Amino acid sequence: MIKLDRRAFLKGAGATGASCALTGVIPGSIAAVGAPALSGSAEAVPSICEMCSTRCPISARVVDGKTVFIQGNTEAKSFGGKVCARGGAGHSLLYDPQRIVKPMKRVGERGEGKWQTISWEQAYSEIATKLNELKSKYGPETVVFSSKSGSEHTYLFDLAKAFGSPNTLTHLTTCPVGMEVASDVMFGTGMKRDIGNSRYVINFGHNLYEGLDMSESRALMRAQMDKHAKLVVFDPRFSMVAAKSDEWLPIRPGTDIAVALAISHVLIEEKLFDKAFVDQYVEGFEPFASQMAEYTPEWAESLSDVPAKDIRRIARELAQAAPHAMINSGHRSTFTPEELDFRRAIFAVNVLLGNIERKGGYFMGKKAATYNKFAGEAVAPELAKPGVNIPKPNAKRIDQMDEQYALLWKMGGIYQSIIDTVNTNKPYAIHGWVMTRTNPMQTMTDRAKVEQALKQMDLVVCCDLYVSETAAYADYFLPECTYLERDEEVKDKSGKNPAYYVRQQVVDVIGDTKPAWQIFRELGVKLGLEQYFPWEDVQTLQLAQVNKDDALLKQIKHKGYVSYGVPLMLREPEMVAAFTAKFANARPVDEDGTYGSALKFKTASGKIELYSEEVEKIAPGRGAIKYRDVSFKQSNELYFIQGKVAVHTNAGTQQVPFLANLMSDNAVWIHPETAAKHGIKTGDNIRLTSSVGSEIGQALVTKGIRPDTVFAYMGFGSKNQESIRISDKGVHCGNLLPHVTAPVCGACVHTTGVKLEKV
Amino acid sequence: MNNIWGDMSQYNPVTWHWVIAVYLFLAGLSAGSLLIAIAMRWVKGDREESPVLKAAALIAPVAICLGMLCLVFDLTRPFHFWLILVNYNFTSVMSIGVLALLVFIPLTFLYALVVFRGQLATIGLGFLQGLADVLNGLRKPMETLLFALAVIVGAYTGFLISAMNIYPMLNTAILPALFLVSGISAGAAANAVVALLLFKTPAHDHELGRMHGIELPVVGIEMLFLFMLFCGLYFKGGAAAAALASLTTGTWAAVFWTLVVAVGFGVPLLSLLLPAQQRHGKGVMLLGALCSLTGVLALRHFILYAGQSYLG
Amino acid sequence: MNKRYVMVHDENKCIGCQACNVACRSENQVPDGVTRLQVRVEGPYGEVPDLHFKFDRVSCQQCENAPCVKVCPTGAAYVNDDGIVTINHEKCIGCQYCIAACPYKVRFINPVTLTADKCNFCTDTRLARGEQPACVTVCPTNALVFGDANDANSDVSKLLNSAPTYREKVHLGTQPRVYRIPARKGGIEA
Repeated sequence: MIKLDRRAFLKGAGATGASCALTGVIPGSIAAVGAPALSGSAEAVPSICEMCSTRCPISARVVDGKTVFIQGNTEAKSFGGKVCARGGAGHSLLYDPQRIVKPMKRVGERGEGKWQTISWEQAYSEIATKLNELKSKYGPETVVFSSKSGSEHTYLFDLAKAFGSPNTLTHLTTCPVGMEVASDVMFGTGMKRDIGNSRYVINFGHNLYEGLDMSESRALMRAQMDKHAKLVVFDPRFSMVAAKSDEWLPIRPGTDIAVALAISHVLIEEKLFDKAFVDQYVEGFEPFASQMAEYTPEWAESLSDVPAKDIRRIARELAQAAPHAMINSGHRSTFTPEELDFRRAIFAVNVLLGNIERKGGYFMGKKAATYNKFAGEAVAPELAKPGVNIPKPNAKRIDQMDEQYALLWKMGGIYQSIIDTVNTNKPYAIHGWVMTRTNPMQTMTDRAKVEQALKQMDLVVCCDLYVSETAAYADYFLPECTYLERDEEVKDKSGKNPAYYVRQQVVDVIGDTKPAWQIFRELGVKLGLEQYFPWEDVQTLQLAQVNKDDALLKQIKHKGYVSYGVPLMLREPEMVAAFTAKFANARPVDEDGTYGSALKFKTASGKIELYSEEVEKIAPGRGAIKYRDVSFKQSNELYFIQGKVAVHTNAGTQQVPFLANLMSDNAVWIHPETAAKHGIKTGDNIRLTSSVGSEIGQALVTKGIRPDTVFAYMGFGSKNQESIRISDKGVHCGNLLPHVTAPVCGACVHTTGVKLEKV
Repeated sequence: MNNIWGDMSQYNPVTWHWVIAVYLFLAGLSAGSLLIAIAMRWVKGDREESPVLKAAALIAPVAICLGMLCLVFDLTRPFHFWLILVNYNFTSVMSIGVLALLVFIPLTFLYALVVFRGQLATIGLGFLQGLADVLNGLRKPMETLLFALAVIVGAYTGFLISAMNIYPMLNTAILPALFLVSGISAGAAANAVVALLLFKTPAHDHELGRMHGIELPVVGIEMLFLFMLFCGLYFKGGAAAAALASLTTGTWAAVFWTLVVAVGFGVPLLSLLLPAQQRHGKGVMLLGALCSLTGVLALRHFILYAGQSYLG
Repeated sequence: MNKRYVMVHDENKCIGCQACNVACRSENQVPDGVTRLQVRVEGPYGEVPDLHFKFDRVSCQQCENAPCVKVCPTGAAYVNDDGIVTINHEKCIGCQYCIAACPYKVRFINPVTLTADKCNFCTDTRLARGEQPACVTVCPTNALVFGDANDANSDVSKLLNSAPTYREKVHLGTQPRVYRIPARKGGIEA
């Protein structure tokens, strides 16, 4: 049936008061309390998207006073003024009847769905009282603070630190951690990809055409279409990137590392690697090479089902296209417990190709300070870091039980260590959990354990837009306003040259909602921690960032995205020539016309480390890149893997009206042979049972998946009744995944075994 | 691939539903009843108003008006229907049909006045007597015009849906002819029912028998046209031939073989095999006529639904 | 010279991400439950590993010989001065003849206006403001090109002259103005 349109709905809400007569209406929702008419800028306002973690530069305006149109900010060239379905649909949550616009307090049991609205003042003072109680009883470390990565985590983690808890956790280990730790260990820093200039791209399940990252997705398409780059995709599933590839190799789940190692084997055995590069920049090549000797393509074939002759051919083709060639290091790197060595194996191939700081390879971000130094002049303004000096909490972190995770402590921590701590009370018991914009019930693994953890807490506070599956277990719900309703600080968006951009308010705040920075500042003040929150508003903070250069701030705000200079890759002669031509005082070039001599790595040796002393120290035996056997499933089980879809962001957007209308279920991909064995047809109800849970969903019989594997898009099958639009639709992946943490990098492992049956 | 593009219910190719099938049936019935009654009157050179003619004069305006009600209330904006009376598009069959109906509908009422001019006083319409008598003077040109318009209206219902070249089963030259003939078949049956029940005509009435006798060739032509329709689809091949699946699969195949063929054709034809005595019994005649009507109504449904289900 | 607005959908560049679908809904305030534009990802077809998807843009094809305009009894469906098949909502009575007659099944009844609705290349919204249609504006991979095919220097003319294209259901004589660049894998199914 046709749903009410927004205007009709608002009229209805106004006429009936709080709409309390409607069943299942959450008291703090727009459905219950109504909302004022849309009011905002009819002129396009440049801002930053928040529908996923890519945070694309956008431009939004109110059309006819009725709706918001969002597109990309054309100032950001690599984003091309484009926006994806999620970005374009962001405004549809503004007036979603399901959106929460008043603070709420739980009145029933945890998770029972009974709420009452309260004032911010009441929320702050009750939360502050309870936090201080917990602090005095158990010490501040008894409260954990978790957040999705982004500006929110800075605001929340400042509060955590000021409160005195070391336990700050981001979503890192449920997503890009394997890739990030591998890069950190080998290069001493994160590495960026120059996909757009690549002539040959190998992709291990980095599904850039469904897990969209506007800049990289566009770059890959540009490379493919305009530069005729070859794309080779290893993926158990015929994903969108596989569909657009030149070659799709349906690899056995979790065995990607074997193929990556075998490619190194071929490059070394056939002397196809960039010896000069290795000699100059690489530490530990000899032991690496001798280790690789055993990883023959034939050996890799036996594990991965990828024919050895294809591995050899692909390795040779890759070498031929080098240095403008790469293996993509991926993003969500939670395929296997061997993530660290899988991602290191990928980076190792890139190193052998000598594609570092070359077009079509990897490079380090050139922020203003670095760039200006090369240019010999102040090309780009450097932003101040108006931080606050908050003393470092003394207590041990909860993920500090195991030395092998030492690298994570300075990054985002190990999110799922909450589960362990609740079970073991080690290193100490935790009693409080404050979180913002995160949904661990879906994203963590082993939903039952997450639920148990939430139930055991003395205090759970959630800041979000909707009552998510996790927020359903909160004692206090703090409604944040959406990204379209708030200003934030200036962000660094530097790539091959420096760039800044900024989030700006497009529409008036709807309901009694607040931006995260304000919520956590006000809570901090209530906790008596005012000294750590000196910025009363974003404008003051922004001015401090630009060192009170009002003209600069105006320019950044006017354009929304500003970049400076010309792209620079240190070992790319063409770019270095253009750079020196532009800047008269630029650093003199090397004999070979590059800045190769300036390329240094922030590792212990200053070189790229194919062997890591640091890792060997924290996890003996893991310093070198090696293959280790992994078992994912019993012989009578199927592999269960998940992935991203273009119209949703992980478990974060399923409730957004426009997107829910596009997709609110995740029928499970089953190969026709496997389906036939179980008598399953498309549309049939099926049950997946793993070691930790069981889920009923629908079957989608397709050749686009290996016969030994089933696949589902993640983020569906929500089990809380508040999210009426999505609850109990599809398979809940988090409920099927056992709680397994990968060594060293701490990744949640998202591959497991399941039994399939028709129901 | 999972559906990530949203609801697809609006893309159901079946746009027009049973209300339109009923409209097509009623318009065909209205035209058919008049056609057969006027034709018989002309052939016989009657001066009297026969029960069949009376039946037709009653059925025609009632059926077409009920049909128009169906049509109007199937509009998403029924209270804007007047727009169709003031805006015309002569490439649109519907627009031309509106013009034809604008003349046809008043004429059916006027013709009823003429046919029932002897009874007007008894049903309280005495004030129309003068008009009826004047019109009776114009009876021949009026009947000619009405006959012509009935042919147009009967065929129009077929043209209306055959004008859409996306539907191979509908987009055939034979469809208007088929609808016209099956409209006549329905008209004859309805005339018989009304004559038998309303005008107390004896079952052995000579004229009723003659009308009954015409049914065989009419049904024969109807079946021939249907056969030609399906042959046409078969020989055209491709999407057209694929539409023949509607004869073998799904609800509409069942409707076709049971209601259209067995009930609509079978029962009336089989009744012809009965001895004359029984054949001309009131019960058998009523049963045969009702079966014919059911068959024609089912045929409209079959053509409309099966026709829209297969795209070219 | 008259304008001849056409759109080209490159099925090689299209990734079926529905950015167009959402942008259209936002710009044209298309209500829930109905859609002016979908890109359906059909398949996969073929045999492993040589599978392929078909990317089918489902929206008004802007026929030069539009069946909807022919059958509309009131003239509510008409060809605008800019050549774009448009709807005059004032005149529409909702007979749905156009919806039935449309070979591409892309017309629908808008549940708010209760009149027929469909893609009009954003003629009343974005084109009127001198912008490109919403779908073209946001398409992440530049799979859509829009412009005046009567202008030999337009991007769209150049593309039509340089790339192989096909159109859906040309056998019906509709002369659609949405051109498709076929994917390099699999055949063309028009």
